[in-house]
Amino acid sequence: MATVADVEAGAQTPASATRPAARRRSFPVWRWAILLIAGVFFLIPLYAGLRFAGLKAFANVFTYPGFGSAVGLSLRLAAITTILTLVLMVPTTVYVHLRLPQIRRSMEGITIMPIVIPPIVLIIGVLKVAPGFLLGTPYLLALVYVILAMPFAYRSLDAGLRAFDLKTMVEASNSLGADWPTTLWRVVLPNIRTAMLSATVLTVALVLGEFTMASLALYVTFPVWIVQFEQNAGPVTTAASLLALFVTWILLMLIVTVGGRGARKRGGAQVALFTVAAPAESSQTMGEPE
Amino acid sequence: MTTNTARNAAAADGTWQAGRTGGTSVSLKNLSRSFGTTRALDGLSLEIAPGELVALLGPSGCGKTTALRIVAGFESADTGSVIVDGKDMLPVPAARRDMGMVFQSYSLFPNMSALDNVAFGLRMRKLAAGKRRTRAAELLDMVGLAPQAQQYPHQLSGGQQQRVALVRALAIEPRVLLLDEPLSALDAKVRLQLREQIRTLQQRLGTTTLFVTHDQEEALSMADRVGVMRLGKLEQIAAPDELYTEPATAFVAEFVGVMNRIPAELQGSGTVAVLGGTVPVKGGQSQTEALGGDQAVDALVRPEGLTMQVVENGNGIVTHRTFLGSVTRVRVLLSGDVTVQIDRPSFEAAALAAGTSVSVTLPTEPVLIAPRRPVTP
Repeated sequence: MATVADVEAGAQTPASATRPAARRRSFPVWRWAILLIAGVFFLIPLYAGLRFAGLKAFANVFTYPGFGSAVGLSLRLAAITTILTLVLMVPTTVYVHLRLPQIRRSMEGITIMPIVIPPIVLIIGVLKVAPGFLLGTPYLLALVYVILAMPFAYRSLDAGLRAFDLKTMVEASNSLGADWPTTLWRVVLPNIRTAMLSATVLTVALVLGEFTMASLALYVTFPVWIVQFEQNAGPVTTAASLLALFVTWILLMLIVTVGGRGARKRGGAQVALFTVAAPAESSQTMGEPE
Repeated sequence: MTTNTARNAAAADGTWQAGRTGGTSVSLKNLSRSFGTTRALDGLSLEIAPGELVALLGPSGCGKTTALRIVAGFESADTGSVIVDGKDMLPVPAARRDMGMVFQSYSLFPNMSALDNVAFGLRMRKLAAGKRRTRAAELLDMVGLAPQAQQYPHQLSGGQQQRVALVRALAIEPRVLLLDEPLSALDAKVRLQLREQIRTLQQRLGTTTLFVTHDQEEALSMADRVGVMRLGKLEQIAAPDELYTEPATAFVAEFVGVMNRIPAELQGSGTVAVLGGTVPVKGGQSQTEALGGDQAVDALVRPEGLTMQVVENGNGIVTHRTFLGSVTRVRVLLSGDVTVQIDRPSFEAAALAAGTSVSVTLPTEPVLIAPRRPVTP
């Protein structure tokens, strides 16, 4: 019996095989120039901060009063906010994509609202609806941060879901006997892993840097601590700010590297901060190499 | 050749075979489905015998995919029932219907290797890890993809992906195999090869199969029976050769294969005057009466059903030739701006240059007629 394999053998040259070389060639000099200018623009203030703080201040940061509790609270809030955001936004976004695609545009509008609504309105709204056991605790801020993170998380997840054929994947999984929770766990979530990582990075970065809400609610998170001690311990708070920046960068690079490696192996979406773009030829390769 | 040998051996010694002997019968009864004001299915009824491959063929929007998706459990029906081995499946969720499906778009899970994709359904059936990997490997070997078992979908070509999708659907030993235009995204060469492979596997495993396509060549070459759909209904369901030679309606006649429309005049007693002669009408008197007494009709004739001779001052002029291999399709302009296509052996047609005067005639066999359609320029 003649088989397809006989015909196709030796003719398989997925388009992705030649991509890196082509990409290297298409990076012209003017792009390097823009990269250099942007780099200088960002690095000069950092250098100035380093000069102002001095290396000694970095060692003092950890022993300064309130530093540990402020960082601890910010990290706990970041973890809670991230979990709540993913638990709420992932099923919502998947449901909208699968069952209510017609309201996707409306969702984009709704999820952008936390950016345009004044912080004081948001926090009063949260105070009105928050469960009693949260009132009077700093963890109330997590609810506010979930709202603030919504525009970024939704966009990351939305882009991730657009990068592959969700409807067909879900139907294929169902037809093979997988129920809904199994389909979500084994098929959907692994394929939006990079989008979830992007949402996580953005949420963590937002919580670690958020000042207004925490200050209004009178809780000393890390940014509030920096502002409070800025007046009498400038070099130390500057060193703390730089440390926070470096830690966030390292976290970001770690997620991008780990997520990107997994995505490249599977030929899927690459990690990006605001969008998750799938190379056109990877996810929907309709042409034949033969 | 090594792959072939291994595959054939696996099939021959029965290492992997469908667990269901005797196949499954499927019966669609009076299925209807509307989307808003659009009636996608309008009382569709269809019987599929155990082990049979039935193709649903029709133009876009005729309801064939909706029918397939209702059988799969991805759409609900407004009315009607889907009976599989005597049990109504409509209340059963898709995950519990035991139906393997191959989709038009490549539906492999991007986060899994080819082997894990094939083993996915077996995992859902709680088969032990070792057994499911062995079975998945055997299935991949059957379609010549053993060397690609550990590759991810993006590393496979379209044809390879669809073969993985096919064996993934077959791995669960489905009661019914559903194919939703699985070849339409592939190039012609791979499509032809995969078409044969699907048919061979389906016959070997005896899996009852419903195949949806808009490609008549695919339907006619693969299916035991072909159902032609139009406006949510079956126009005709028959064996491929019967569908071609004995179309029940003008729509089927024109949708399947190439059909000439030649203006004709109804005569009495179930005959029609066409191309200067008189020929009987298929269906006889009842067919002519069904047209409501309108005398102006079109006779529907296949390209191979017309004869042609080179003569001086004939009733047609050759305008164009299309070489199709052993035959050549000759376009002839008849009086009244009617163009017909006539198939001739290529060695004869070589002499028919454009501008040649010919005499086109119709043998006296019964012809199908349809209401007259205005001639389009």
